[in-house]
Amino acid sequence: MRILDLAYILGLGAGLGLVSAHWAVAGRPAVGKVEVGAWMAWPGSGSRGVDPYMRAYLARGVHLPLGAGEGVELIAERSDDGAHLDGRCRYRLSGSVPTTRGWTLGVTDGAGRPFALPLDRASFSDAEIVRGEDGALSIVAAAAPQAGNWLPLPAAGRFQFRLRLYDTPVSSQTGETRAANLPRIARLDCR
Amino acid sequence: MSAIDHDAAPLPSGEPRPAPVPAPPLSTPLPAPARPRWPQRLRAAGMRLGLTTLAGLMLAAIVHIVTILLIPALSQRDAAYAYRELGAEGNAEIVPLARGSGSLPALQEADPDVVTAVCAYDLAAGPVRVVARTGTLPLGLTLQRQGGGVIYAITDRAAIRGVLEFLVLTEAQYDERVANDEEGETSRELRVVSDTERGLVVARVLAKRPSDRGDAEALAGGVRCGPAG
Repeated sequence: MRILDLAYILGLGAGLGLVSAHWAVAGRPAVGKVEVGAWMAWPGSGSRGVDPYMRAYLARGVHLPLGAGEGVELIAERSDDGAHLDGRCRYRLSGSVPTTRGWTLGVTDGAGRPFALPLDRASFSDAEIVRGEDGALSIVAAAAPQAGNWLPLPAAGRFQFRLRLYDTPVSSQTGETRAANLPRIARLDCR
Repeated sequence: MSAIDHDAAPLPSGEPRPAPVPAPPLSTPLPAPARPRWPQRLRAAGMRLGLTTLAGLMLAAIVHIVTILLIPALSQRDAAYAYRELGAEGNAEIVPLARGSGSLPALQEADPDVVTAVCAYDLAAGPVRVVARTGTLPLGLTLQRQGGGVIYAITDRAAIRGVLEFLVLTEAQYDERVANDEEGETSRELRVVSDTERGLVVARVLAKRPSDRGDAEALAGGVRCGPAG
């Protein structure tokens, strides 16, 4: 009976411990996440004191996170209304981008890889977009061609927007940024 | 009729009862140890299951924490391991962004508009000097230590006359360098202490337009990292 107890304790401990550790760092960990509107960021990932979960997540693949003084990466998985981003819908990204030396806005899958689409346009940089008279940003992301700044989406399925700000004062205090300072993601319609 | 009454009833066969065992002196006979009943047994089993589960959960928490802490130290899939050979010639080398382009593992979650060049350092052989020439495109340099964590980040805005230059050293090498400084003179070199002997110097250049890619590759690949004299 004692051996049975010991086997139960060891099995439960090792099994649950390993499975929970794997689960905790299989994706970006919830620890250290900062949410601003629809955007998420992990500003601690580029610092000396990166938390152990983020460190373990980064060590499980070939990652080189942006340094805290170098820039910040913001990820959106949902539109402003809380629905998951889906290739069957059209989205408009509008508003402003924080002060920065340069930014890029890309469409990726859940693992951060660009999609292999027929049109070679996985992202826009600040130098590539056409702006309106007021200088505001307006990008339409859709699977079908759109007038203006068109960011092609996959025909269906989940995707992410990744906004990378380079050399920006926001990077060290991302949590204090207001949602109004980042582009809004409005869902226009769905097929 | 209760169970006790039944036990006390005379034997049905009418045989004479066996002679009573002589009673121990001075006391009444001890009652036979009562057998645990089902509710008690269930309670004991439940208690035991609860205690072993609690012990298992505590062990699981320990295993969880130890695993999370060991992953960075043991990983052979991280960038520090994948790019450990780069920069042996004294120049940062550009890393691929997509799979299948060369023998190196591709950088994950990378910005396709950014050219990334990497140079691995090992401070066991002495301090390493990193020199980057800046251009019109935004350039950022970071020091990423083995086992995770960005220990230093600088951008080309800190460049002096178009050159970014700093020295990477260990704590002991730093102390030695400070001791060798001329008395009363301020050293102008930028010294960055790395708490691990190995790590990566990462140069990133943003190519804002596709036509900038050539310039960006030249800038990122032009970062020099060699032994400091």
